[in-house]
Amino acid sequence: MNQKKLRIGLVCPYGWDTPGGVQSHVRDLAEYLIAKGHYVSVLAPVVDEEKAPEYVTSAGKPIAIPYNGAVARLLFGPIAFARVRQWISNGKFDLLHLHEPAIPSISLLACWAAEGPMVGTFHAAAKRQKAIFAIGPILEPVIEKLTARIAVSEAARSTLTEHLETDAVVIPNGIYADRYRDGEVVEKWSGNTIGFIGRYEEPRKGLPVLLEALPIIARFAPDVRVLVAGPGESKEVIESIDPQLRSRFEFLGRISEKEKADFLSSVAIYVAPNTGGESFGIILAEALAGGAAVLASDIPAFDSLLGHGEFGALFKSEDPRDLARVAIDLLRDSDKRRALAKRGKEYAQRFDWDVVAEDIYSIYEMALVGSSGVTLSSENRAWNRFLGREGS
Amino acid sequence: MEKYFFIAFIIIFAIWYLSYSATRLDRLHNRVETSWANLDGLLQRRAAVALEIAKSEIADPASSLLLTAAAHQARDAQMRARSQAESGLSGALGLLLHDGHLVSGSIEKDLLRELSELTDKIRVAIALHVDAVNRTQMVRRKPVFRIFRLAGRAPLPVTYEFEADVL
Repeated sequence: MNQKKLRIGLVCPYGWDTPGGVQSHVRDLAEYLIAKGHYVSVLAPVVDEEKAPEYVTSAGKPIAIPYNGAVARLLFGPIAFARVRQWISNGKFDLLHLHEPAIPSISLLACWAAEGPMVGTFHAAAKRQKAIFAIGPILEPVIEKLTARIAVSEAARSTLTEHLETDAVVIPNGIYADRYRDGEVVEKWSGNTIGFIGRYEEPRKGLPVLLEALPIIARFAPDVRVLVAGPGESKEVIESIDPQLRSRFEFLGRISEKEKADFLSSVAIYVAPNTGGESFGIILAEALAGGAAVLASDIPAFDSLLGHGEFGALFKSEDPRDLARVAIDLLRDSDKRRALAKRGKEYAQRFDWDVVAEDIYSIYEMALVGSSGVTLSSENRAWNRFLGREGS
Repeated sequence: MEKYFFIAFIIIFAIWYLSYSATRLDRLHNRVETSWANLDGLLQRRAAVALEIAKSEIADPASSLLLTAAAHQARDAQMRARSQAESGLSGALGLLLHDGHLVSGSIEKDLLRELSELTDKIRVAIALHVDAVNRTQMVRRKPVFRIFRLAGRAPLPVTYEFEADVL
């Protein structure tokens, strides 16, 4: 990137303090752009302002409300709107990049309040919802203001086309591939092991499917072990496991980035039995980059991320028998497994931030053509033109 | 009395809504203009690169001739004939580069790299422009916009038909 330095405003709709796909995407993108010498300010709902990095501006405390099948930490209301307006007018940005502008949070407010070059990234993939049709007429004129739209996956793109009748450029989520490239094989995690990373208490992450499949897998691969990493209370989950199989489970708790890289290099199979609600599946990209052979449910996001099975094995979602069948097949055939992991690792390089951020940046460049920066929107544009006044 | 308030409210709301809609449409026209400016700039640059390639050692005399003609045509084309001319240029470039003969020399390599970067950008620029145009056409078809002639004298934007697979 050898261009002039920009002032970029990023808006994250979800609470900054809670871990999540959109938040880490915004954080990584912000840090990447800052490293490239641009001025970046992130507006997000924040609980603990002390802990947030310097480039984050708080728009207030997030409100936890059920949205789209999970509890989302969003923020809206007149006070938040005032803060959004203030942030826009103080920031003197060249460009705004709004994440998830179609959900009721500050990205939507920013899109409403601002005028000028705006890029929107759509993360979510959802089934056709009636509610969206009801609010469509309100949402449409707002979303229309975006100069360019990005969808993180084909699934997110088709959601956008169905719900809002607008197209988007697909740019995947980014990972720092080199962090996972050189993981070391750890003895205690290697062997016939199946790895799982994530908030395993959430049913949609699919740990129950794996639990059900395990007895079958154990029959064919007697020394199989399951390693589960991620935050959560393991006690309850352990109690729900058949006592005979308990010894095969190991809960590692939250692991560091370095440990994650080692974990992914060590396990025989990385499994993602998610039952839905995923739009992209960043963890799969990381697992591929870490050199693991990936086995995932065939939900649309995973299916397209894994190239319909070319870069990772797929099983029928929510079908423990099918999971067991494919897992056994992979555990028994180490040549096949290695070839799969190798293909996956090469493929994962395209999700590296160096590639992804470059693509996002070229969208920025296109959005910037012929503009003079972001301002608070004026609802008098048409009048000004009619009266022959210049400006805007 | 209440009735009058109600009527006044309706009238004020209607005025606000029309003004808001006019702003919305104005913004869309603006988006069409800027996305076209962007696409146009990229296409001009591509034509320039194509001419460079025609002059370089990549092209044999015959394809050089073809390419030069196509590039000039793309540059001179009027708005309506533009997409066809640009598709022609894509075709000419495709013919030359599909042969996949070896390219030596750093200037030639630079040219080809620049061309492929431009092609990627053009693809995105077309998507942005087409989206803006479709959106504008859609909004202008709505009854409110037609009855109150909110578009004023602005011409209806033309869809840019580009054979994307030739790129």
